[in-house]
Amino acid sequence: MNTLLKLNDVHTYIGQYHILQGVNFEAMEGQVSVLLGRNGAGKTTTLKTIMGLTPASKGEVEFNSISIKKSPTYKVAKLGIGYVPENQGIFADLTVEENMKVAMRKEDTATLERQNYVLELFPDLKKFWKKAGGHLSGGQKQMLSMARAFINDSKLILIDEPSKGLAPIVVEKVMEAIVEMKKQTSIVLVEQNFMMASRIGDTYTLIDDGRTVHSGKMQDLIHHEELKRKYLGIG
Amino acid sequence: MKMKLPLQHLCFFLMLAILVLLPFVNDSRTLMILLTQIFIFGILAMSYDILLGYTGIVSFGHAMFFGLGAYTTAVMLKQMEPTLSTFFLSIVVGMLLAGFISFLVGLLTLRLKSHFFAMLTLAFSGLFLVVAEKWRSVTYGNDGFTFRAPEIFRDRMTFYFFVLACLVVIFIALYRFVNSPTGRILIAVRENEQRTKSLGYNTLYYKVIASIVAGTVASLAGSLYAISLRFVNTSVMTMDITLDALLMTIIGGVGTLVGPLLGSAVIEYAQHALSGLARDYPIFERWIIFFGILYILAVIFFPKGIIGSLRMMFWKWRLKRKGINQSSVTLSQEKERFE
Amino acid sequence: MELLVNLVINGLATGMLIFLLAAGLTLIFGLMDVLNFAHGGLFVWGAYAGIFTYMFTESFLIGIVGAIVTGALLGLITEKLIITPVYGNHIQQILITLGLMLVLQEMIKVVFGPNGVAVKTPSYLAGSWEIGDVIIIKYRLFIIVVGFIIFGIFQYMLKKTKVGLVVRAGVQDKEMAQALGIHIKRVFLYVFMVGAALAALSGMLMAPYSGVIYAEMGMEYAILGFIVVVIGGMGSFSGSLLAAILVGLAGSFMAYYVPVLSLAVNMILMAIVLIFRPQGLFAMRKERST
Repeated sequence: MNTLLKLNDVHTYIGQYHILQGVNFEAMEGQVSVLLGRNGAGKTTTLKTIMGLTPASKGEVEFNSISIKKSPTYKVAKLGIGYVPENQGIFADLTVEENMKVAMRKEDTATLERQNYVLELFPDLKKFWKKAGGHLSGGQKQMLSMARAFINDSKLILIDEPSKGLAPIVVEKVMEAIVEMKKQTSIVLVEQNFMMASRIGDTYTLIDDGRTVHSGKMQDLIHHEELKRKYLGIG
Repeated sequence: MKMKLPLQHLCFFLMLAILVLLPFVNDSRTLMILLTQIFIFGILAMSYDILLGYTGIVSFGHAMFFGLGAYTTAVMLKQMEPTLSTFFLSIVVGMLLAGFISFLVGLLTLRLKSHFFAMLTLAFSGLFLVVAEKWRSVTYGNDGFTFRAPEIFRDRMTFYFFVLACLVVIFIALYRFVNSPTGRILIAVRENEQRTKSLGYNTLYYKVIASIVAGTVASLAGSLYAISLRFVNTSVMTMDITLDALLMTIIGGVGTLVGPLLGSAVIEYAQHALSGLARDYPIFERWIIFFGILYILAVIFFPKGIIGSLRMMFWKWRLKRKGINQSSVTLSQEKERFE
Repeated sequence: MELLVNLVINGLATGMLIFLLAAGLTLIFGLMDVLNFAHGGLFVWGAYAGIFTYMFTESFLIGIVGAIVTGALLGLITEKLIITPVYGNHIQQILITLGLMLVLQEMIKVVFGPNGVAVKTPSYLAGSWEIGDVIIIKYRLFIIVVGFIIFGIFQYMLKKTKVGLVVRAGVQDKEMAQALGIHIKRVFLYVFMVGAALAALSGMLMAPYSGVIYAEMGMEYAILGFIVVVIGGMGSFSGSLLAAILVGLAGSFMAYYVPVLSLAVNMILMAIVLIFRPQGLFAMRKERST
């Protein structure tokens, strides 16, 4: 199993605030790697730093053994990292179809096949194909955003809190989709919902106050009551 | 962060003493006129600094308040007896008018984001210019008109002292204003309007206050300007006036009050010198290009202006002397301006 | 009837010219969050470069091409040298683009001389048609037609092509567009150049319409452009067209019926819009990003 993404002692500033103060993180190929931590711990910033949206000032970010620390966002994306932000980042004035189209970097048969595949995964998108993105429900937006990240044969997809603000039944659907997508790609998941994270995650990394405090196999964390209580407030 | 150093006060009094004594040493007409001009535009630039430097709003319509003052004084002195009391009355009327209009315009536009505000002030001042051009029965349009100044101001030196006195009074008043609780809130608005709002301050209210203060002071500068020329035409309403104020504030240093004064001296002197050169070298007729380029470079590379940069150097020097790790401080200072 | 038609044609022609100016402004603002106060400078440079090319080559068409090329080149230089260093800082942007406006305007006087230049309409566009008792001035109709064609082309590009999708996506959410692999800075540059070219074209077309060009015209028309952008809604392309036509028509009718108000009418329109609908009449939806 290869290491796909590697963050080594990453520091990131936003304005004058030192948000990430030493994040270490690895994502393996074909796995769901989960970033856990309290609100404001720096999980979202970690994803943004990987994408180059809030570039790291210190440390190393490697994707497929290539340094992407200084790469602009669009280049990171072109290397094969898909991004599903917390607010889903749907273009509200564009239809579902256009949202998909703007994400496609090629319009070859492979891409169109992948499109058919995600549309089967998310039949709702097909149903609202011509509807403006801004008119979709929260769950549909989540699905559209995931579909968009998937469409370019991404080797890795970063998903930021997909369960946030969704009804349990929709969360269930999103989870199924992630499990399904995992067959074709690798996933980094930020999640507050420990139930969900523990069910689909392979490995975990705990972040607190901008630092990596613990990481390991998800199986181990499930039974590690102390860690859960200390950093996640559950148990 | 004002430094309560006696050094500063000393400089202030020394400068004042020099300016008071100067006419007795050298009363050349050119020098008197140039210095008077510097004082007048210094007042205008300081008023602009209240907006740009202390509240962080860019107005492109400052000329309308300047023009309002100039026209009020000119028209009243022409239509009524050109006495000192008419003159003082005209200053008061001009300031009231300017205050009222800046209140209205501010209420209407200051709710908007900086882009819109800049644009709207530009449009409003354009409107005033048009009114000045079209209302010929009062303003004599583009040609303008001459009028008689109060007897006492015929003497350049008296007028010099009067303008100097105005400058000192306005400087002290504005200095106290920006250091008052209200002034502190204006700075907070400049730094982060959203946060100031969430602390429970009605930021619109404070921005309107800043705009009224700036407007009335600009009107005073306009009144003085009219007297200095004993003539007024639509040029007092044009963009050039706003640009002068802007240039002086930026070059001198925003948010410092002293900076705009210095800026006024630099710009007025340079204009004076360059228009002298223009007689021999026609390229200098377009001196505004040099200022434009200088200004663009200043915005990119030198956004704190002369005073701001000096102050920054002073701080760094002090920090170094105290041996404090300065990296974090510079960072926050870097953000202090222009955010 | 004749009067009505003429007033409408006048209004539409003026409106179209303002639209071309405002279209660039609104696109640049919508996408880059930059309000370009130097837009009027690009307008006046388009007018001068185009007209001098026209006088030199005696071909109005080549003149138009000259104006567009000048505009695009100036746009390129402006974006690279002036806008890029101050991205994301509104106050600096406002200050610096205004400074550029000043320089562009004065440079006109240095390069082309300080006095206004009289402009003749090319012979095939001069004169008028009489339909019944209605006289239609050819050149005005020409402007209207050109305006609608350009609107049509842009609308098609924005709605139907991938380029248009990318621009619209960028207007709504820059970060996300980049995260999807779009090189947004390059898109910025192209949009800026296109906007500048439109402003230059507008200046060029304005020249025979007003009969004379002068350095200060840039600022005068830029103000109209700003008003249109405010009324139409920042970032809205079709909003700009409607607002420009509104401003054009209001100006032409007021000039005839209430001449005193003709100069104030746009300001009044803008004030009303700002009081009741500060986001503009036809503003775009924008997702709130956290």
